[in-house]
Amino acid sequence: MPGRGKITGVIVSVAIFMALEIAALGMLKGRGPMQGFFISKGAHSVMSVLWGGGEKVRGYFTLRKTNEDLARENFELTRELSAYRAIAERLKTDSLCRVFPAAAGFTYMPADIVKISRNTQHNYLIIAQGSEDGVIPRSGVITPRGVVGIVDEVSRHHSFVISLMNSGLNVSARLGKEGAVGPLSWDGVSTSGAYLREIPLQYRFEPGDTVYTSGFSSIFPADIPLGVTGESRIVNGATYEIKIRLFQDFNSVRHAIIVTNPGLGEIAGLEQEKGGSKQ
Amino acid sequence: MKHNFFIRYFLLLAAQILLCGYFHLTPYIMLSILPAMVLCIPTRIGTPTAMVIAFLSALAVDFLAEGLPGINALALVPVAFCRKTLCGLIFGSELLVREDSFSIAKYGALKVIFAISVVQALFLLVYLWADGGGARPLGFNLLRFVCSLAAGVLLSVPVTHVLCPDDR
Repeated sequence: MPGRGKITGVIVSVAIFMALEIAALGMLKGRGPMQGFFISKGAHSVMSVLWGGGEKVRGYFTLRKTNEDLARENFELTRELSAYRAIAERLKTDSLCRVFPAAAGFTYMPADIVKISRNTQHNYLIIAQGSEDGVIPRSGVITPRGVVGIVDEVSRHHSFVISLMNSGLNVSARLGKEGAVGPLSWDGVSTSGAYLREIPLQYRFEPGDTVYTSGFSSIFPADIPLGVTGESRIVNGATYEIKIRLFQDFNSVRHAIIVTNPGLGEIAGLEQEKGGSKQ
Repeated sequence: MKHNFFIRYFLLLAAQILLCGYFHLTPYIMLSILPAMVLCIPTRIGTPTAMVIAFLSALAVDFLAEGLPGINALALVPVAFCRKTLCGLIFGSELLVREDSFSIAKYGALKVIFAISVVQALFLLVYLWADGGGARPLGFNLLRFVCSLAAGVLLSVPVTHVLCPDDR
């Protein structure tokens, strides 16, 4: 019995101690901002220990459910990722359009190449966009790596493109950004070789110089990189013929961009009126 | 003499109020005789009553001198809470059994000073923390603690002599 009385006494003492301390803290907190801050800080620490400990225990016993939730969420995310990947694949050609700065007056449209020939001297491509998609004859076909060809004929859903790997096609090209301009044509042999012809002898260049579209053709915008210079030779003692290694390898081309000059008809009409020749 | 304890206690409380109100020597020293006064509360008085006495005494100082209600009360109640345990540990359990009071003559200056130092330290630790200790540099707080402890112990020795005179 005395033991029980002692325990009761201790409990009463502790209770009074706590009550008095809380009362003192309450008074202190109400009067001084600094004290209020420190007491709040202390109280928050105690609360965080108490509640944090409780949360840890609760978290331990809910681990199984958490794992199940995470697995389900992981599955949903994987499914969504697959869907986005499929969309990204479909939009791949669209993204090619952003590679090029919008040249004045030109419009761009993504295109899928459905057929390509490489083994003849008059190679061609078929693309899966036609007149219903807004494709018109004499539109250019390009990739981020260079020129692919020129649209020759258009049906409702498809277009016939004369490939740069066609000995009958020339593209106006420039040595460097401000160098001489001349016709660039396929070398008739490889899938990434071409010749730049009619470069006057007074122009200096080095192997490895970049060749760009000149912008003079009204089909292609200027400054599309085509390839780099290689060996050269003088033709008839008057001009250079320069070997070009094209950036675009026709073995790997799958998607392209149709570039159209809306003023093409007007230019062609003007040329006809003045007796100008076609490209 | 025992009957005069509370009269002396109140007088010393008044002295403490004056001390807090007028004796601001330096920011490094906080003079308080309250811990020693609480330590001297007769052991026949139980811990709950001692805590209430300590609380009310400290509140009086807080309201009449300190200007920050609760700060002394917060620091002094733990002293009252530990008082009996501390007395038992330092002076021996017979003091509690006999419900006697301690004095320098009975237990020696060393033990009394040690007991005063412990209660002063406990009081100062809580007081300095509550006084915004975390907002000040540790060096300042340490120096303040040491200086206040030394001054408080020096001041508390005569206080214990007044409150717990040697009856022999």
